Amino acid sequence: MATVVERPPGSGRWPSLVPYVVLAVGTLPIAVLYAWLLYSSFFLRVEGFTPIGPFTLENWRFLWDPLSVPELRNRPPIIPLTINTFIFATVTSLVGVLISSMAGYAFSRLRFKGRRMMLGGVLLLHSFPSVTLLIALFVVLRTLGLYDKLAGVILVQTAFALPFGIWIMKGFFDNVPWDLEMSALVDGAGRLRTWWRIMLPLVKPGLLALTVLLFVEGWNQFLLPFVFMPSGSQQTLSTLVRGILGEGRFVDYGLLTAVGLYYIAPVLALFVFAQDQLMRIYAGGVKG
Amino acid sequence: MRVALRGLTKKFGEVVGVHELDLEIRSGEFVALLGPSGCGKTTTLLMVAGIYRPTSGQIFFGDRRIDHLLPKERGIGMVFQSYALYPHMTVAENIGFPLELRRSVSNEERERRVREAAALVQVDALLDRRPAQLSGGQQQRVALARALVKRPDILLLDEPLSNLDARLRHEMRGEIKRLQKEVGITAIFVTHDQLEALTMADRVALMRDGVLQAYATPTELYARPVNQFVAEFIGTPPMNFFAADLAPRNGSLVARTEGIELALPAGPRGAKAPPTATVGIRPEHLAIVAPGQGEASGEVYVVEPMGREQIVDVQVGERRLRVIAPPGFVAKIGERVGLRFAPEQLHLFDPASGARLA
Repeated sequence: MATVVERPPGSGRWPSLVPYVVLAVGTLPIAVLYAWLLYSSFFLRVEGFTPIGPFTLENWRFLWDPLSVPELRNRPPIIPLTINTFIFATVTSLVGVLISSMAGYAFSRLRFKGRRMMLGGVLLLHSFPSVTLLIALFVVLRTLGLYDKLAGVILVQTAFALPFGIWIMKGFFDNVPWDLEMSALVDGAGRLRTWWRIMLPLVKPGLLALTVLLFVEGWNQFLLPFVFMPSGSQQTLSTLVRGILGEGRFVDYGLLTAVGLYYIAPVLALFVFAQDQLMRIYAGGVKG
Repeated sequence: MRVALRGLTKKFGEVVGVHELDLEIRSGEFVALLGPSGCGKTTTLLMVAGIYRPTSGQIFFGDRRIDHLLPKERGIGMVFQSYALYPHMTVAENIGFPLELRRSVSNEERERRVREAAALVQVDALLDRRPAQLSGGQQQRVALARALVKRPDILLLDEPLSNLDARLRHEMRGEIKRLQKEVGITAIFVTHDQLEALTMADRVALMRDGVLQAYATPTELYARPVNQFVAEFIGTPPMNFFAADLAPRNGSLVARTEGIELALPAGPRGAKAPPTATVGIRPEHLAIVAPGQGEASGEVYVVEPMGREQIVDVQVGERRLRVIAPPGFVAKIGERVGLRFAPEQLHLFDPASGARLA
């Protein structure tokens, strides 16, 4: 449904500009950061905000000639890393959304023993800092034989994403009128089919938004891959960026900015394309 | 399909929603569950539908006990108050949904039956639209088609008209009644509007606080209410009530209160007659006559012309009685008038229990 934004009556051109000016000034530092990141990647050196030397693609040569970059010589090649990151983000997001939508439905619609307690638990887990669980997780993953494997980190990342996902999906299901569900049951559908045919299509905005959010979260995740996949070949882009930054005696900032940009580009693109979907996670609702 | 409810009870925790409800609905009958909000009428309907599980009691469809069955196993169609159309499906998909779930129905047959059902309620021109593109009346028709498309044994309607505007409500009232008879289906509908119940139903079950108060044809319910609640609830404008002392005179009874003296032709006889009673009389059974004539006298409080008739409130002593007067009646506020009571139309109720005395 379209939202009509109307200018409040009596307000002229100038007063309405004020909030924009305030916001623009407030946003400026962030914009400057991104601008710096962008142009630094095309110069060999930058002093403060001033680029030194001519425009160059030298920093980006890791894309076509990775072996000529000393910092990358002892690291896994960037394309497999990108694929790893992609798999990691996609699988955690899809599995997370699947489980969240089922659990969210159950929490929203079914009355079972311990429902309130479990809901409270979900909320508690959501506010639990994952760092505190690292050692326990390490033991669990080693026991399962999943330590140093992408599958293991995917499992952990998905688990951490679930409390948020379940809570969001429950909210979306709560907004679907009971009548629709009762109607589906009377029409002859079982619970599972009602969930699949009636409920899921009605929370589609939530599903899309959650998919994007969990993907971005997975893409940006650093700690878990860093801790649980120490041995190279299974690493993700975030650990590569950290590697360039952390090792060696002096840091090649040109390379760092180029790799950094390469790393955040998909996320930026996703945000640009999925903005509308992401907005809805806060608006909710199932208006057809 | 005959429907029978036996001792049907539903408790929500400690709160009793429906208490020991017994109800028989004949095959092909159209029955209204009527009552104020919170009286248990919707709860009853949802138990029949299989959405709520009864706390105790039994439900029979024909000779088969069905209260343990899932909704989809009961052979019912239902129209919800909100219509509950699936917003992501077209009209055709909405109507076809109940058939989609039946393997025995082929795609061609489904399409044919969707068109049939749509034609029955005159929405066959709207099959490709989505619910959001329909008016309230059209949504209602689509909901009816969806409820009927699988040829259920029983049709359930929850407040089917309450979301429509007054004009449309009138139209759909007749439409649903005609449709029910045309299809010949046993139907139960829930309403809080006594006019809807009276105009549409073959029989009306009036409920209050989870307890059945009366179950009768609209005519019986109106002419001979079994208690004061029924008398109050049925009829617009509502019945007049006043407390009166009863005294024997010349072998019959007289009801007397300030400004009113009524001989009761068919009052409670003999020793059973209590000293006081609540007297009820409908506004159309009172007539305004010249001052000094009739059984009561008072003055005009207000006159409300309704076109076909006028509602006149007459102040008699402490109380105000509502009278229906013909359109030609002219009176000024404060004017003194007499009131004539139609003697056969008096209702007497026990002041304590509200039960009918005569």
